[in-house]
Amino acid sequence: MKRDVVRRGVMNDALAFMFSAGFAVSAVAQTCELPGGREIESARYVVAYRTKPESVRIGQHFAMDLVICPKVGEAAPENVRVDGFMPEHNHGMNYKAVVKPAGGGRYEVFGLMFHMPGKWDFIFEVRGGGKTDRITHSVILK
Amino acid sequence: MSDGGVTGLLRSLGTGHRPRIFVLGAVLTCLAPLGKTQDSAGVLLDLGDQERRLILQHGPWPQPWSPDPSNRVSGKPEAIALGERLFFDARLSSNGSVSCATCHVPERGWTDGRKLAVGMGEVDRNTPSLLNIRHNRWFGWDGANDTLWAQNVRPLLDAREMGLTEKRIAEFIRGDREYACRFGKTFGAPPAADDEAVVVAVGKALAAFQETLVTGRTAFDEFRDALARGDRAAASRYPAPAQRGLRIFVGKGNCNLCHFGPMFSHGEFHEIGIPVFKKSGGVDWGRYEGIKRLRASRFNLLGAYNDDPKRADGIATRHVALLPQTFEQFKVPGLRNVAATAPYMHNGHLATLPDVVRHYSEINLALLHVAHVYFDPLVPEAIPTDTLLKPLNLTQGEMADVAAFLATLTDPGSLKPRSVAADNSSCK
Repeated sequence: MKRDVVRRGVMNDALAFMFSAGFAVSAVAQTCELPGGREIESARYVVAYRTKPESVRIGQHFAMDLVICPKVGEAAPENVRVDGFMPEHNHGMNYKAVVKPAGGGRYEVFGLMFHMPGKWDFIFEVRGGGKTDRITHSVILK
Repeated sequence: MSDGGVTGLLRSLGTGHRPRIFVLGAVLTCLAPLGKTQDSAGVLLDLGDQERRLILQHGPWPQPWSPDPSNRVSGKPEAIALGERLFFDARLSSNGSVSCATCHVPERGWTDGRKLAVGMGEVDRNTPSLLNIRHNRWFGWDGANDTLWAQNVRPLLDAREMGLTEKRIAEFIRGDREYACRFGKTFGAPPAADDEAVVVAVGKALAAFQETLVTGRTAFDEFRDALARGDRAAASRYPAPAQRGLRIFVGKGNCNLCHFGPMFSHGEFHEIGIPVFKKSGGVDWGRYEGIKRLRASRFNLLGAYNDDPKRADGIATRHVALLPQTFEQFKVPGLRNVAATAPYMHNGHLATLPDVVRHYSEINLALLHVAHVYFDPLVPEAIPTDTLLKPLNLTQGEMADVAAFLATLTDPGSLKPRSVAADNSSCK
């Protein structure tokens, strides 16, 4: 599995961490539509996201369009938290992201900032049905 | 070997006398040192693609800048002139002898050369430079302010710095014919009846002036740009020790992770094992207390004095996180002109640049990773600190090289005496 490599803050779609769209769509509840972009999944959810701007720059705030689809038979998300963490430095962001529901499994995320170059983990914590799934996706900011 | 090199070899062969040292010298001169390329002007390290990419990230310089939207007089000539007069005016203090320039001395890189600043009294922190301050996101060692104009208000009202009150500042400005006139030309109206509004306006005029204080291009910038355009001859003029030091800076030193980009700072905060006990007593909690003061301030970007109706720049203030790891963190300063702004760290703890380099070379990890906070009065909680810093274990030569590199970030033109400009004449 390849990690995303961000060159000068630009995420390279050619190296995106992707699951086949067909597999993901058939696994999610019919009322939830995945838009494409980067997709990652846990046992109960499929997460797709796009950053805004598309090119994340070191030390610049960015936002995110997020879609979280429950897999068939799983509970819809009740609460979503998004964070960032540098596993090689053992520290996170200096900022707390705010997640705003936009309906239909869609969310807008504000206040993200990666202040250093290196490997960052996006962390998506999705709570639903009394359980919390923690989904991470690594990117490298150069 | 004054007669060494190829010339020496030919001469010695011709006379039949073969001083062996001349032959040896000729051979050594002709051999390119391992890992270096010989150019006509000097040597150039064989930098890899990664090294080159990382070095180029520290430019170009100067960086573009646009006026601060939260300050409606940012960039305006009248405000700059007013701010310059205020900056050098010692009447802007309770005893009439302390001005902004008392601590921010132009020929000292707009610092004062002291461990701890002294205004009306001694404070707990080292005077930061004002050069390039317009590129900052946060202001003060603890980032307690999110604009330069708000940061200007703080020392005016601090008993140990300028020692004034809002009332005294406002009365001084209103009562001085020159300042009252300049206020009208700058803000479109005489000083307001509201004292706090006048103080904020003073902060904004000072900020307009301070935004003009920038360093020019340095020897490093010439090297960086030569690399960018592939000009090996120009790049090889950069001193070899500085090249070696720069290689460490972007390589095994990992200095560039925090001292990132053209400003040589990512603009955020870090804990680096500097003692935090204050000379005046107690602990300097740094960024943790800074965030609390920021949130409580009437002058932050979320407040009424932000002149930008869109509040576009308030995102950092809106989302900044008060986290345990912010204890003992202080702002990562930019490194341009660093060789001219000793002593170093938030409390002037390290006297010289070699001391700073040695600090990172020999850093005590126990100081970094042991942080116990008493959220409960009886039970301490161990706060995880990050694991970025590790002792570099540099040799004496390597430490000297890093210091040599940092010295090439100096712009001598920015270190000249200065007072109110001659053409900053009376208001009419």
